[in-house]
Amino acid sequence: MKSAAIEESNGDGKGSSKIKTLLSEIWKHRMVYTLLIPGLIWLIVFAYMPMGGLSLAFKDYKANLGICGSPWVGFENFTYVFRDPAFIDAVWRTLYINIIKLFIQFPFPILVALMLNELRMRRTKKLFQTVLTFPHFLSWIIVSGVVINVLAYDGLVNSALAMMNLPTINFLGSEKMFVPMIIFTDIWKSTGWGAIIYLAAISGIDQDQFESAEIDGASRMQQMFRITLPNILPTVTIMFILSVGGLMSSGFDQIFNLANAATKNVSEVLDVYIYRITFQSATDFSFSTAVSLFRSLVNMILLLLADRVAKMMGGDGLFR
Amino acid sequence: MKTTTKLSWKSLVALTICLTMLLVSACSNQASEGSNEKDSSGAYKDKLKISVASTINLKDGELDNKFHQYWMDKFNLEWDYNYVEWDSWGEKLRLWINSGDLPDVAAWNYIHGDAMNYIDQGLLYKFPDDWKERWPNVAAAYSLTGLGDKLEELKGGTYILPRPVYYENKPADPLVNQIGVIALRKDWAEAVGFELKDVYTTSELMDYARLVKEQDPGKVGSSLVPISYNAADALTNIIMPNSEHARVESAFYKGEDGQYHWGPADQETLTGLQIMQQAYKEGLLNPEFYTWKNSEGSDNFRVSGTAAITSLGGLASYRQDVDKAMKKNLNVESDDVVHTAIVLGDDGKYRNLEQVNFWSALVFSPDISTEKFERIMDLLDYSTSKDGQMILNMGFEGEDWKYGDNNELVSLLPEGTSLEDKYPSRFEGLYLLGDDFSVINPAIKKDYRDRAVLHYQDKAKLGKEGGKLAPYDWDVQLYDSKSKNQATFDYEKEYANLILQSGDLEANWKKWVESKQSLVQPVLDELNNLK
Repeated sequence: MKSAAIEESNGDGKGSSKIKTLLSEIWKHRMVYTLLIPGLIWLIVFAYMPMGGLSLAFKDYKANLGICGSPWVGFENFTYVFRDPAFIDAVWRTLYINIIKLFIQFPFPILVALMLNELRMRRTKKLFQTVLTFPHFLSWIIVSGVVINVLAYDGLVNSALAMMNLPTINFLGSEKMFVPMIIFTDIWKSTGWGAIIYLAAISGIDQDQFESAEIDGASRMQQMFRITLPNILPTVTIMFILSVGGLMSSGFDQIFNLANAATKNVSEVLDVYIYRITFQSATDFSFSTAVSLFRSLVNMILLLLADRVAKMMGGDGLFR
Repeated sequence: MKTTTKLSWKSLVALTICLTMLLVSACSNQASEGSNEKDSSGAYKDKLKISVASTINLKDGELDNKFHQYWMDKFNLEWDYNYVEWDSWGEKLRLWINSGDLPDVAAWNYIHGDAMNYIDQGLLYKFPDDWKERWPNVAAAYSLTGLGDKLEELKGGTYILPRPVYYENKPADPLVNQIGVIALRKDWAEAVGFELKDVYTTSELMDYARLVKEQDPGKVGSSLVPISYNAADALTNIIMPNSEHARVESAFYKGEDGQYHWGPADQETLTGLQIMQQAYKEGLLNPEFYTWKNSEGSDNFRVSGTAAITSLGGLASYRQDVDKAMKKNLNVESDDVVHTAIVLGDDGKYRNLEQVNFWSALVFSPDISTEKFERIMDLLDYSTSKDGQMILNMGFEGEDWKYGDNNELVSLLPEGTSLEDKYPSRFEGLYLLGDDFSVINPAIKKDYRDRAVLHYQDKAKLGKEGGKLAPYDWDVQLYDSKSKNQATFDYEKEYANLILQSGDLEANWKKWVESKQSLVQPVLDELNNLK
């Protein structure tokens, strides 16, 4: 491996011939590569070009001077960030909620995909998949409206409890119930959608393996654990690494719409904090960019770490 | 070959059209759309389309009524109206101003730190130097705000028009903020044997709420809300009466020792919090009061009739609104069931904020054309004149009002209706706030106006005689720094959260105060080092 790399880097001729081969391959399959263009344009315009705005974190942004013209202030914005205890709290809270989500919520789409895969009646499978995927298309504003109406003091659940002469429960104002509520609603909303990627991975498994297993007398359960799961493991690993890379980002829409003054101490995650400092107090885009940059850096470090751990454990990583 | 040529030609045409449209739309904002030249009759020759943003909810079709038409015809303009919801007012204006999308003129909830930034960054229109001579009525009202002159000193010109609260009809001296007036159910008070007074302490109001909770004189059962406050109302009517520096407006203040302090850390704030927590624990406040938005608290009082106490505010027009809502929703005469009063702290002292004579401000787009700016200023100047004020607040002479035998104003509107019913969403009173005219407006019932003035006078008297009115400290208000901006808290949410936490309130409050020190202390240090 090492010698091959040295040979590659030293052999200029070989390197250029590799590029030539790549280019000729691209030209050969140019129609397929053309399909990449919209995605690439999107990536450049919406992901890479805005990165120039990250320089705001090191500037005292003035709208009239623009991003380039605003004066540099070094790490001054970061000193303001780290002296705010609400920021530190928000970081820990974000990690806390997302780690819990990762361990509780992550397996659900895999389980659902496995279960859907075992359904043999095509119509039933489609029905379940539609029912499970549908919540993904509802916005968090609608979902939180429903949740609030169901769980409010005069909502459906408490009214039912009152009718049965049972004590009512303050669901919406309880700090203890907030995180479970966030996780439960997120599982309900995202599981069906998340299962699609695993279903796609399952459909890519060579059917011969199942046929051979059947001939050998393997039960459905054995096929699931010995064939299906090992085959989708690379996808699971990649999804897990990506999830770890998003540990510092929480669903803003969900938490913002379900939170209230009573749950402030458990609901102000980084995204909500960034929103608050950007729009609810005096505007300071440099300050909020500094917070966002910090979050992205931590996310990137976590992503690289997870990738490394996955490789150390013998699995596939994101970067080869 | 032929096909290729055809396609290219079509593409070229499409591209040209796109580019032309782009150019037209890109340049249209800057282009002058007409002049302010007038014809022989004094009418403007050219019609201008002016975009305006305010928090008055103008519904579809309402621009067609006679009132709006009058202003559009008189100033030959067409409105492009942008309604801004109260909840997103600050946020939306911030986005508009920062992104250069501010309408030609907008009502903005003035924040000093933001104002300084916006002016420095050229995000607001700078008025011509001679504007005060050209629009004297606006200038006269502007001079009463105090803020206008201070900002001119700081920035060397006029960029903002602070909106005067009072102009010619100041109800009391010193003028105290209109907030801190509550309404309670008079009929229920009589039923439970609670004495009606003009002034109550917070604990007296809780006593009343307890009686109502025990006896349920309105027979509303489980829907009863003894004290129907949302988080903001609770701050205004429970915490502020006990701690005048608990609110954002006066949180940083100069104490008797000549040093600056942070009000939320005062023992008095803890007292207010303790009373609020007691009210919550006893079930006098709604279990989910902190989730209520806007008018949800007052709606229990005036729409569903399930509340014993609500936050009202001191303007006569607010009382008139309650009257209308109760008639419409509950079919009751509010005069028979509503009593208004002001709230004292539990130590018997009156606390509130000294009223600075402005609330919010008008700002203009930096890209506005001179012609549009002048046209708007012409409208503002007229709207601030006596004639303009009469039309804005009374409607049309001979049709909506007349002068009586003794030259007093007499409303000609049918009993039980208001100008708002006839001409909804009168946003044209952009500059001078309606508070001033409401003191003398005959369209508002005289009893309500008299009561509002009495509350103002009581506030002034109680404030002077042993009360604690938080002064409007120009040094603090006009001080701008990154630290001060960072130490801006949403106090109503913070307080609601504190009283809802489990454990000892005093210990939680101390912990909370401590947690804010890293942001608060730098501001105090900066203020104490001001020359």
